[in-house]
Amino acid sequence: MITNLPEGSELLLIARKTLLDDLAPLVGDKAKYTLAMIANAMAIAAREAEAGEAPALAALARFDRIYGIETRELHGEALRRAIAVQDLRLAEDIRGGHFDAPDEKRRAVFEHLRETVTARLRISNPKSLP
Amino acid sequence: MIPDDATRARLAHFIREASGALDVRLTLFEQMSGGAVQQNWAIDAEVTGGAFAGTNRWVLRMDAPTVVAESLTRAHEFQVLKAVQQGAVLAPEPLWLCENRAVVGSSFFLMKRLPGVATGHKVARDLTLVPDRRHLARELAANLARIHAIRVSPRELPFLNTRLARDNIAHYRRYLDLLGEGHPVLEWGLRWCELNAPPREETTFIHRDYRTGNYLVDNGKLAGVLDWEFVGFGNPMEDIGWLFAKCWRFGQYGYPVGGVAYAEDFLPEYELRSGRAVKPAELHYWQVMAHVRWAIIALQQRERHRSGAESSLELALTGHLLSDLELEILALTEEHA
Repeated sequence: MITNLPEGSELLLIARKTLLDDLAPLVGDKAKYTLAMIANAMAIAAREAEAGEAPALAALARFDRIYGIETRELHGEALRRAIAVQDLRLAEDIRGGHFDAPDEKRRAVFEHLRETVTARLRISNPKSLP
Repeated sequence: MIPDDATRARLAHFIREASGALDVRLTLFEQMSGGAVQQNWAIDAEVTGGAFAGTNRWVLRMDAPTVVAESLTRAHEFQVLKAVQQGAVLAPEPLWLCENRAVVGSSFFLMKRLPGVATGHKVARDLTLVPDRRHLARELAANLARIHAIRVSPRELPFLNTRLARDNIAHYRRYLDLLGEGHPVLEWGLRWCELNAPPREETTFIHRDYRTGNYLVDNGKLAGVLDWEFVGFGNPMEDIGWLFAKCWRFGQYGYPVGGVAYAEDFLPEYELRSGRAVKPAELHYWQVMAHVRWAIIALQQRERHRSGAESSLELALTGHLLSDLELEILALTEEHA
């Protein structure tokens, strides 16, 4: 933080609260539905900002373990690119049957997928977390 | 479409010509809720002369600005609705098709408006709408058995696809390849479906979107099945897996049949009416496939927004449904991990 102004996620959340508390009671049913969608989008964006790069870094570390690659420390665009490449490779290998055998590797992949989905749910829809 | 005076006049003119009426006055013309793929408009018309003289309640069904590749054109859906009028299937009666885009901006057809409520979360959560869950489940089962018994030759509806389990897998993989991004969880689900695919499958006419939210409930009874845009030939168990899938229970997870009833309220009636046994393993299999399919559709909806073709908050948020669907795919395939 360079300033003591509210951060992006904090601003989003107070904007969302104002939308729901002050505006929602004033509008009809159709607009209420739209307001609820806007509020949902704002909450997702706030959680995403709050989480930062941690979920992607953890996913990359799990992937590197599965493939026996030395753990990488990447950030920003490089991290995003690495995740995209990782997902493509994993997708291709799963389709190719590389993890069909009931062994440690298959279990590690399954756990990786579960943790990745759980991390995304924390942002998309934490209510449905197991 | 904006239902301005000019549009109303063009539509009234079309109806007058199509129905042989002397005069048509539109007294209601408003968009109905739901329908991220198609747009439905409620139309009330006062008709003078011809076979439709009197007050009419209709639905105008048109394409949304961009369409999901999977879905039928309005012209094809219109033909399907005509074909399913046979065999006592509960479905809206189609009236006229208009392929002249100048009338409302895209092709559309008119059908009779059935009474009742379709909105999924209402049907699943409002106990006054469904006072007798078993009764509704049995009607859903009997109606689905009738759909699966529809005999249409591919010659009659040549645009319908035939897709059994392995065809579905190939179809979804082709879409993922087009997308050019990796979706390991969906690939996991598809690989599971490939390894567990049924050795032999029956092929029937199937609805492919038979779920809560797509049927009307009126006074606790099934009034009609809507959204015939995904029909084709396939494994009848696909429809049951879709109806039972957790993603279509609208939060009422204790009721496997679309959030409205127990499996035992539905299955015996379906088995009796169809003469077909529903094996638990098959039901499980098609629920995995259902979540994969819904996830693919969610991706397609997200792409409609992301590509810039149809900027929409609703479509953008659909992309965020993906994680819920993926979690369920993993849960359903875990014992096999």
